[in-house]
Amino acid sequence: MSGEVSKLGRFSDPALFILISLADGEKHGYAMMEDIERTCGARLGPGTLYGALARLEKRGLVEPLVSEEKRRRPYRLTAAGASALEGRLKELEGLAREGLGRLAPA
Amino acid sequence: MKGETARRLVRLYPGVWRERYEEEFVAMLEQSPASVKDILDVTLGALDARLRPQVVPEGRMAVVERMRGSVLLGLWAWTFLVVAGVGFQKMTEYEDFVRAARDNVAVGVAFYAVVVGAVLALAAVVVGGAPIAFAALRKALTEGRRDVPLLFCVPPLSLVAFVGYTLVLVGVVYPALGSPAVHDPVNVALFLSLVVAFLLAALASAWAVSAAVRRSEIGGRPLRFALYPAAVAAFAMVVVLVGTAVWGLALRAQAPTLFAGDDGILSTPTYATWLTVVAVMSVSTAVALAATVRGLHARRPSQHPERSTS
Repeated sequence: MSGEVSKLGRFSDPALFILISLADGEKHGYAMMEDIERTCGARLGPGTLYGALARLEKRGLVEPLVSEEKRRRPYRLTAAGASALEGRLKELEGLAREGLGRLAPA
Repeated sequence: MKGETARRLVRLYPGVWRERYEEEFVAMLEQSPASVKDILDVTLGALDARLRPQVVPEGRMAVVERMRGSVLLGLWAWTFLVVAGVGFQKMTEYEDFVRAARDNVAVGVAFYAVVVGAVLALAAVVVGGAPIAFAALRKALTEGRRDVPLLFCVPPLSLVAFVGYTLVLVGVVYPALGSPAVHDPVNVALFLSLVVAFLLAALASAWAVSAAVRRSEIGGRPLRFALYPAAVAAFAMVVVLVGTAVWGLALRAQAPTLFAGDDGILSTPTYATWLTVVAVMSVSTAVALAATVRGLHARRPSQHPERSTS
């Protein structure tokens, strides 16, 4: 399932940031953009953000919530999205551990 | 970013994408400070959405998109039939062919069937296309867009340019060159330039109308209406094709010497020009029929339930 994120090609990093941003609750587009900039240190352009968001929605990893206000439609992780995020983060955790282990003095 | 700027940027995205994300995307752009980097990012995002669609049309949008695609495919098919038809007309304007049509009933009837079919197809295209053009222009004017009206100016401007070029050739260039003989290389080159000018005008016109219609958010009604004239146009194209085919076969039977001669375009064998015209018309007509069937099938509401509003 974690492969779902890496399948997004050049959108895989933005997609991962979006999934992380939604991991602690629903957010609309601009809130995601601010949250990602604060927590991941990367500012996603509007076109990049919505390009990745549309791909995630198409794959069923995130879903829009019914909202009275179409201009501030919130999104949330689906169960598949949470599973994909967890898998991808574990992969990265393993990768980070491996890299750090190699950097450590023998 | 100002709302108007945001709306203009969002128009770069495909219609189905806008249908799904426009409101929230514009709201986000309005909250973001305007920067060249963001404008470039949105432009690339729009290009990406067009090259690799992320939103698959469904429900009403899917029906509209299918009808739009069918109508435009029919337009392109008709354009190629017109190009082939002009070649046929050019060949048959020689006195020998006119006489053959007058002296042989089958040749004459086939030729007039081609003319009637061509007029009927043109009328159908105008009847079906006018409401679409009107709807697209009205929408463009409402939104303050200039690209759509400019695109609709291309067909009349192409016609004026082609007619102007023809008049310059006939009125200025030919007399200045001392009216070269038919097989003179200069005459052949000038004729070929005329053919290229006509092809460019026809293709530019079809492209411009297609682009204008694709860029416009036209409702389903004019497209649904256009399917009926499109069906008539496809039928008329069949008449033109059959008439052209019968014309050649009848000419071969009634005037074999003329059919075996070299009276085709640029003195090519008559049968070769005729076969080429029939081949292009066959493909065009087949495409028009397929587009019509696809369009009429797409408009059935039971096949495409209305989209959920959740």
